[in-house]
Amino acid sequence: MSEQRRSVAIHVPVLARVEGEGALDLRIDDGAITELRLRIFEPPRFFEKFLEGHHYSEIPDMVARICGICPVAYQVTAAQALEKLFGVELDPWARAMRRVFYCGEWIQSHSLHIHLLAAPDFFGCNSAIELAKIAPDDVRRGLRIQALGNELMDLFGARSVHPVGVRIGGFHGAPPLARIREVREKLRAALPEAEALVRWTAGIAVPQDDQVFVSVAMQHPTGYAIETGGIAASDGLLIDAGGFDAHFAERHEAHSTALFSAYHGQPYLVGPLARLNLNHAHLPERVRALLAETGLALPSRNLFHSLVARAVEILLALHEALRLLDAYRVPDSPWVAVTPRAGVATGCTEAPRGLLWHRYEMDDDGRVLSARIVPPTSQNQARIEEDLRLSLLSFGLDQPDDALRLHCEKVIRNYDPCISCATHFLRMNVERG
Amino acid sequence: MSRIHIFGIGSPAGDDQAGWLTVDALFAAGLHSEDGFVIEKLDRPGTSLIPLLDKAAWVILVDAMQGSGPAGRIRHFDQTDWPQHAKGLSTHGIGVLDALSLASALGSLPPRLDLYGIEIGSANPGAPAADEIASAARQLARCIAAAVSPSLRSP
Repeated sequence: MSEQRRSVAIHVPVLARVEGEGALDLRIDDGAITELRLRIFEPPRFFEKFLEGHHYSEIPDMVARICGICPVAYQVTAAQALEKLFGVELDPWARAMRRVFYCGEWIQSHSLHIHLLAAPDFFGCNSAIELAKIAPDDVRRGLRIQALGNELMDLFGARSVHPVGVRIGGFHGAPPLARIREVREKLRAALPEAEALVRWTAGIAVPQDDQVFVSVAMQHPTGYAIETGGIAASDGLLIDAGGFDAHFAERHEAHSTALFSAYHGQPYLVGPLARLNLNHAHLPERVRALLAETGLALPSRNLFHSLVARAVEILLALHEALRLLDAYRVPDSPWVAVTPRAGVATGCTEAPRGLLWHRYEMDDDGRVLSARIVPPTSQNQARIEEDLRLSLLSFGLDQPDDALRLHCEKVIRNYDPCISCATHFLRMNVERG
Repeated sequence: MSRIHIFGIGSPAGDDQAGWLTVDALFAAGLHSEDGFVIEKLDRPGTSLIPLLDKAAWVILVDAMQGSGPAGRIRHFDQTDWPQHAKGLSTHGIGVLDALSLASALGSLPPRLDLYGIEIGSANPGAPAADEIASAARQLARCIAAAVSPSLRSP
């Protein structure tokens, strides 16, 4: 059979079901990819510059505005960095409740991504609204879980959208025990729902893919790292937040308003699958048992397993929140006093989409001289381009344009990119010459 | 099942408080939550709106909207209007019409749903709403109060 090598140009001008504004340009000539660019063109938001001159007490509320879906990550990372610089020792209550607060964000963000953004791809649906018509019970379950995540954020943040509860030194207030009791019951009731969600996501047929990549995620010696720990990589690296610049570098590419990050010059993965790959041994026994039941082998080299990874992390977050709230007491004070000092502050936490790193240079009065924020989506940007290239070769470049476009969108949505954070995302253009 | 739920949707950002101001005006008119009747302010609920819908026989939603009309204009939307105004679901941009479209697909809409929009001007965080927005909210509250009163009086 004679084979005619075609040349194709695919442009996806607006990528649906990702956050922000970007595009994908793909050019295939004589059966080879000659151009593949994830173009992020959303204007830069200059948030780091806005922070300069502001007092440390304003920073948690300001950085919460960077993202409508993961404000807790920004608040807690900034607080952690500044508290370390100022020599603040948090009350154990505040340390524990920061983790509960963060669990709320993981639960709501992961549930939204699974049900509204990613899952429709695997059921032949264009949207969550179409998915709701064929799997209404699963979507309803997802919405219930997501609402519980929002409730946890509201509990400590006073509201789930751009919460305002965190202050340097702890929280502005402590919820009363009566409200905690109500939430505990809801968390307990949600556990079987989250277990069903893990089984549901594990049962969804996803493309088989096998790629070599470095996973980067925080690690903690005694638990699944969320809001505290060092930065680890699957090649054995383990550093604290202050060592980030010695191993990771950001660079500008002309086609993107978000910076690209590299680890020792190479793309790397952050996010739920990277975390699960590095930290699955720290999952609670009940979660590990369920994971084993699904048959998912870890570490995984198939990015499509990000879907089940998010479901596993929802279950983990429910267990963690419940464990910590079972020991809840109303503290004498939800915050400790802070005395600012000059110096450089660095901190990192695991935002729902992956590692989030902050660096602040502060003056004697506790005002920001300079700030740097490295969000997960910009760290994943080079990995997404690498994944698209490898995944398309595996999928077959001779597939019809529509199939190529859909496959690219699926790959990109695996990462749950937030271009609003990175600077925001997708339009795709495919050219076959 | 509670019979009537009135939700004013908004955020603390200038004219975007239109829905909240409508709820305030209903409170000022003497209407309060009681058995079978709920009046509540919602802060950018996204999909969290959906579980609130199927607990009532009649839901009235009031939200700010940006259209081509003057600030303070009140509009009523029928279900047939939703698709042309929905933006599509994303994690960050789930509006009221997107949530209602998803609720419809899930079969979670109440038997009766009235959606009102108040056209707004600027929505600057921390700023008060403009006078014409507050005035429109009071006007809409009077209409809503008149509409629900017969149902509240009935046994």
